[in-house]
Amino acid sequence: MRKRSIPATIGLYVILLLWAFICLFPFYWMITTSFKRPLDVNRVPRYIPFVDYQPVTDHWEFLLVDEQAKTWRYFRNSLIAASASCVLSVIIGSMAGYGLSRFKYYWARLGWRNDNIAFWIISQRFLPPAAVVIPFILFFNFLRLIDTHIGLIMAYTVFNIPFAVWIMRDFFNSLPIDLEESARVDGASRWQAFLRIVLPLSAPGLVTVALFSFIFAWNEFLFALMLTNFDAITMPVYLAGMKSTKGIDWWYISALTLIMVAPVMLIGLFLQRYIVRGLAAGALKG
Amino acid sequence: MASLSDIKPLPPASETGQESREDSIFKRVFLSPAVAVLLVFSIFPLLWSLGVSVTTCQRSASAAGAEAPAPTVGSVMCLGNPADFSLRNYERLPTDSRLLTAIRNTLFYVIVGVTVQYCIGLLLAMLLQQEFVGRRFFRLVFLLPMMLTPVAAGYVGRMMFDSGISPLAQFQRTIGTFLSNLTGLEVKISVPFITDPGVAPFTMVLIDSWQWIPFMTLLLLAGLQAIPDEVYEAARVDGANARQLFMRITFPILLPISLTAILIRSLEMFKLVDIINVVTGGGPGTSTESLVMYVYDTALSFGNYGYAAAMGFVLLVMVIIFATVFLAISRRLTRQQLGVG
Repeated sequence: MRKRSIPATIGLYVILLLWAFICLFPFYWMITTSFKRPLDVNRVPRYIPFVDYQPVTDHWEFLLVDEQAKTWRYFRNSLIAASASCVLSVIIGSMAGYGLSRFKYYWARLGWRNDNIAFWIISQRFLPPAAVVIPFILFFNFLRLIDTHIGLIMAYTVFNIPFAVWIMRDFFNSLPIDLEESARVDGASRWQAFLRIVLPLSAPGLVTVALFSFIFAWNEFLFALMLTNFDAITMPVYLAGMKSTKGIDWWYISALTLIMVAPVMLIGLFLQRYIVRGLAAGALKG
Repeated sequence: MASLSDIKPLPPASETGQESREDSIFKRVFLSPAVAVLLVFSIFPLLWSLGVSVTTCQRSASAAGAEAPAPTVGSVMCLGNPADFSLRNYERLPTDSRLLTAIRNTLFYVIVGVTVQYCIGLLLAMLLQQEFVGRRFFRLVFLLPMMLTPVAAGYVGRMMFDSGISPLAQFQRTIGTFLSNLTGLEVKISVPFITDPGVAPFTMVLIDSWQWIPFMTLLLLAGLQAIPDEVYEAARVDGANARQLFMRITFPILLPISLTAILIRSLEMFKLVDIINVVTGGGPGTSTESLVMYVYDTALSFGNYGYAAAMGFVLLVMVIIFATVFLAISRRLTRQQLGVG
């Protein structure tokens, strides 16, 4: 790299700091708002705790103690829907990815081979959910799955599978086939070779798929809104519903938002490289 | 998509074509769950949706009776209410001015939003590509907005752009007072970010961009890091200036990944609903309403499932047309670039 001139370096840092401020300030605002008294929120903006306002923990106590059952219910609903669909997508996605990577398929009726099948699966990812949400409502209504965890889990699994298949197929393609073959020579069945040899080696791919499936389901809004109405409401829908009550209780919304984004933020911070890898893989290969 | 064909599956164990019985069972076992799930929950609903869209399916029978009876060709049960087959929903589509507004807004979000996100994302990616102290810190910080749930990003945006309590509003007031004192005239600066029908769509774009610029930055940075330094060195030796380096090297090499990133973001943008729902609820009036939002409103507030399904198909057709045209153009652009380079 060449040496930069001093003005260029200053300019670089000015833009970087400005953008870092734009990225961070909303988070700071959300955190401080959750500790402000309503008067400190609703009159003029207050910026620094202990200097221009006195922080209070009332709102956190309200959400985590007084309304604990309610908060926990929605959090749990999100957790159940996200983790169950995450597990299902990983299992189904890695199986299909392995199949497409290791076997030759030929579907005579359409003349489809592996690549056609893979393309068909990934193209499902770009289907706008709004185009299929109505039959989902009718179908789930018929099966009595509206407002149940199972309904949400099924819907999220469907939307996660294409991505899971895509990433896992790529991953298995990059895995040398020799190990499985030697295991097979030693008398292991296909299934044993898959479980004992292939899966442990593909842990990084599985983690990436699991992360994305979980985050997608955790953040999903449209289906949760349409398919739940009381018992199975997830965090995003609960949070979005808070705006319609009299006035906006910014302090509760801020605190709840922080509770909601905490798992994803933690995952994101600690497993950042898997997320980067997943996005890069999705884009570079897609 | 474009590069699908160059990822060849590894040859199966039995290249000669004589699969063992075990293998022929196993290959079905491995693939069929995914195919079955997608058929049952993706293709089948799509066909069903097509079916629903040609009926007068309503949540409550009374609402259906309120409108003028349409010519029917048969009847079907829908959510326990009788519904008729009719093309009324499709006849209504071109005359529905709210739908046209929603389509226009959606296209606005896709075109303006993705352009903004791409330009700023590219700028930030090029900055992060430089070498400087604290690069790891800035990379992490720049990713943070993407980790936020879209609903949460909507609330945050609303707090930032509120015309009364937000720091931005106070900042505007301060500048207004300052200018008043300076000029002696009555100066009042107050941009109605959320309450003005002309400004609100831009505010939606700003909030969405805040959240998704990191996505662009991340992908473009990955692309930039794949360009070897020697390429730049060679060009500099030949006397290329910074502008030429960007136009002749960086931009063309980034073109494929740029197109993919733009396609992914555009397709996501067609589905935009969470942020709008939280910040404006589609208002003021219907000035920020997206197509998905209108579908949701038609289905849940009006209970008109038939029309909602028909609109879902409008969205699907828009997405398919967009993706097809986009892929055709990008294939041509990439080929051109290969031809020149």
